[in-house]
Amino acid sequence: MISTKLQNKQIQSLIKIGKKIGVALFWVLLWAVAAWWVDSSLVLPSPLDTLKGIITLSGDFKFFVSIGVTLLRVFGGVTISVALGLVLGLIGGLNKPFYEIMNPFVSIIKSLPVVSVIILINLWIASGVVPLVVTFLICFPVTWTNVVQGVHATDDNLLQMAKVYNVSQQRIIRDIYIPAVKPYAVSALMNAIGLGWKVTVTAEVLANALPSVGMNLYYSKIYLETDLLFSWTFVIVMCSYIIEKVTLYIIERNKRKGADQCQLS
Amino acid sequence: MSIVIKNLKKSYGDQIIFDDFNLVLQEKKITGILGPSGAGKTTLLNLCCGLEKPDSGTIEGINPTSISYIFQEPRLLPWRTIRENLRFVFKGQSIKKSGFHDKEIDEMLRMVGLDTVGDYYPQELSGGMRQRVAIARAFLYPSELLLMDEPFSSLDLTLKNKLMGDFLKIWEQDKRTVIFVSHNQEEIKQLSHEVLTFSDKPVRVLKKETIY
Repeated sequence: MISTKLQNKQIQSLIKIGKKIGVALFWVLLWAVAAWWVDSSLVLPSPLDTLKGIITLSGDFKFFVSIGVTLLRVFGGVTISVALGLVLGLIGGLNKPFYEIMNPFVSIIKSLPVVSVIILINLWIASGVVPLVVTFLICFPVTWTNVVQGVHATDDNLLQMAKVYNVSQQRIIRDIYIPAVKPYAVSALMNAIGLGWKVTVTAEVLANALPSVGMNLYYSKIYLETDLLFSWTFVIVMCSYIIEKVTLYIIERNKRKGADQCQLS
Repeated sequence: MSIVIKNLKKSYGDQIIFDDFNLVLQEKKITGILGPSGAGKTTLLNLCCGLEKPDSGTIEGINPTSISYIFQEPRLLPWRTIRENLRFVFKGQSIKKSGFHDKEIDEMLRMVGLDTVGDYYPQELSGGMRQRVAIARAFLYPSELLLMDEPFSSLDLTLKNKLMGDFLKIWEQDKRTVIFVSHNQEEIKQLSHEVLTFSDKPVRVLKKETIY
């Protein structure tokens, strides 16, 4: 009985994977047909040209250096923005004067066009650091807003209970606010990772940051190497996908039984 | 020491809940308060424990750091186990590690019939079991005053009777001043030594009845 159930589960998961592969193949096929119809690898390289481009690129050590440095910038920007967003968001959620001081600053950053931020920051600091700073500036408001929202959405009933039982503020923050904010912080982290990649690569292009994935994309464009442009884009998409999945896996592994499961699902 | 409420005034906007309200509540007795929904019973409990402030008047005889409260809902931390929820109200006791109060916690869990579920999470228990945890928490916390706001209202009859029995059993061993609010006459009469019937807003005591 149990083994039949297990087999059914395995079959279900195989069907699910098969479906995903099927959908991916459909789009690749559509892309191949479009490339064949356009018949110019300068305008639209085929999936095969793109794959060849990736193989060519991966033969060069600089390819990995570029990815590594861009990854570091994404990680740096996202980590700093999430860490600061968590701490300051928690303080902002709990302390109204602090919220009122911070909120206009966050609102202004949020409404600034990414390109303006990149160009402005590039005036003040070295090109290589611009993507990191810009990623921080773009991702920080996301985390801040989410965490403040999480603090405000904390169950009032639990806070009242803690107040009646004379529980210390430190314990209330650790055992009520932080767990309540966790799902909001996770969602902010996932958003920041997605956003971080796009912003970092854009900033690398506009700030001429070297070495970088962004500049390689830019060079592919100027030298009309459209196949390499596609290859680099594919690399960015894959890196972003892998990081997102790894982050989700780590979160899933670390989350405890009980409400965390309810809240994160 | 009895609880003495003097010239209490409390209103929400135009709605006057208490207007020059006076009352004396007996020490180490269970005082039941009956009244229509929305009359101000919960407001009185919240005023007693400091969750709300009176517009004027005083409530004497309450040590604000020595109050337990059994709410209508259990109000347990969903991300903490039952044992950790009980440790939560003890100052200086780590929530995750066992410590000084663990013996008391185990004893109390046994008294409320939950000794096997200490490591469960609240959502893994039934509504009645969760409410029993709330009762255990209220008695574990070293308080002089216990407030109860319709703690049995969401439970079915059998469970309600069982829980009220458990409550009385624990109270007999650890007699505290209790203010028990409900709109259910039977519940109130079954548990209370003295029953006060409140009028609608502004609150007046319509009837005072000594049960035993």
